[in-house]
Amino acid sequence: MDFLNILARLADLSPETDTQAPAPRRAALTRIGQASTALLPAVLAALPHPASARVRDNNTTLDVLKLALTLEYLESEFYTQALNQSALFSSATDRAAIETIRAHEAQHVTLLQGLLADAGAPQPAKPNFDFTGSKNGAQAASFPDVFTNLDTFLKVAQLLEDAGIRAYKGQAEFVQSDNQLLETLLRIHSTEARHASHIRTMRRQRGATVKSWLSPTDTAITSAGSVPDKAYANESNVAQYVPGPRLVPFETTLPINVGNPTLSKEALLAKVAEAFDEPIDTAAATDLVQLFTY
Amino acid sequence: MSDSAFSFLGRTLRRRSFLRVAGATAASSALVLAGCSDDDDEVVAPTTPANTLIFANGTSGVLNYLYLLEQLQAAFYQKAVDAFPSDFTAEDKAAFIDLRDHEVIHRETLKYTLGVLSSAYDANLTTPLAFKFESFTLSTRTGAYTAARTLKEISVAAYNGAPKLLVVDNATGSHVTYLKLLTKMASVEARHAAFVRDQLQPNSFAAPDAVGAAGLDTVKTPVEVVALIAPYVPVTLDASFLPTT
Repeated sequence: MDFLNILARLADLSPETDTQAPAPRRAALTRIGQASTALLPAVLAALPHPASARVRDNNTTLDVLKLALTLEYLESEFYTQALNQSALFSSATDRAAIETIRAHEAQHVTLLQGLLADAGAPQPAKPNFDFTGSKNGAQAASFPDVFTNLDTFLKVAQLLEDAGIRAYKGQAEFVQSDNQLLETLLRIHSTEARHASHIRTMRRQRGATVKSWLSPTDTAITSAGSVPDKAYANESNVAQYVPGPRLVPFETTLPINVGNPTLSKEALLAKVAEAFDEPIDTAAATDLVQLFTY
Repeated sequence: MSDSAFSFLGRTLRRRSFLRVAGATAASSALVLAGCSDDDDEVVAPTTPANTLIFANGTSGVLNYLYLLEQLQAAFYQKAVDAFPSDFTAEDKAAFIDLRDHEVIHRETLKYTLGVLSSAYDANLTTPLAFKFESFTLSTRTGAYTAARTLKEISVAAYNGAPKLLVVDNATGSHVTYLKLLTKMASVEARHAAFVRDQLQPNSFAAPDAVGAAGLDTVKTPVEVVALIAPYVPVTLDASFLPTT
């Protein structure tokens, strides 16, 4: 039985019931998530019956967890391989930072494996990774000196961290009916955001033009149209929406140009783009993983 | 919590919430953010002490809570930018200006969406809240970054805890729209937090006091957060009506 799939579908069904009493349903689903599968039929019977067979075109909770674990495998293996290179880090401070990040990625792997195991779901196998991008020699390497040149290593680290943050945000809505899981994934996500910020700070200290947050003023680390570049797609977006949907009027009425002197429109919109870190969808995240997988 | 409080929570779950400014006269500034039915005769609010901002149970209460946090941070960075510490470098100054601008953009985004709901807690205030930063030392680089770190860690913990409190509204999907908006801002808050920590102490971007043993960043409930920001806010804050799970 695809247990998590059922949970995800239950969360998507019966909008009338959700609107009337969201809290008991959420609580029930959370309890299912914590219960053994042996208890499942009884708990399911107690849930409100779906009013219709409406199934949204979206990811199940299981899809989300599998993608998250794959991303964490990618990052964890990346830092482990880097730290195994004796010559990559000449600075103890740099090495310590990467050790901190590696430890968190390993913890995320353990956590996500545990969530899948608790649900009785199959674990995705850890892929074979080649961080040069050559697919184990099958094609030309995109990053041939990733583990011998610190600047290349930090570029790839920035790419993986920025993409990871964006991927978690893209998946958040698919677990919104499970408060506990939503919070867990958001807390992983903000840890990744700290990593990305630090990697960017390291690069800036080594002379790169890059802010600790994504900015249109950053020097691009990817070439236009490439798979890595798609991980940054839409990052210069300044169109944000609130329910309605209504476009937030940054370009017209909002009093956000508070500097002295005031900013040009272009400079102001760059600040707007910086203030919102955009999501990527499942396909973009998967493509990026594929680039380093064989 | 008493039974009557529970019934209050249950009713407001299904009700559009909006701001009610009660007794906002020269003599009294009680701000009540209360759930309320469309007809005005049933005011669902507890007894309101003076000078108290009560966040209502529901999405508008969650958004007002984050709006206040962004107001607080924007005011902090504006104050620091208005009189930079004498030992600030050019990079420090540029960073604080970025931080100020991002917080202003976040603040105005939340104010805009609350305005659409006619729910901004301060819509009818003649003067905005004057936040208090006297406890910080803003004349030195170390003092300014220490203060920034304090506020940023609160913000990260709040943004990690807030999205699950949004009320599901499958008729409009508004909870999904808000989730997308808030998580985009949360990423930037966490990037800020790591940056200010690194500026204060190299490599402290994700130190154990911020990221725990499971690799999970900090999370706090609204009640915990309002207790932490109380020293900087000139009114009493009551987040006890917001849900915690």
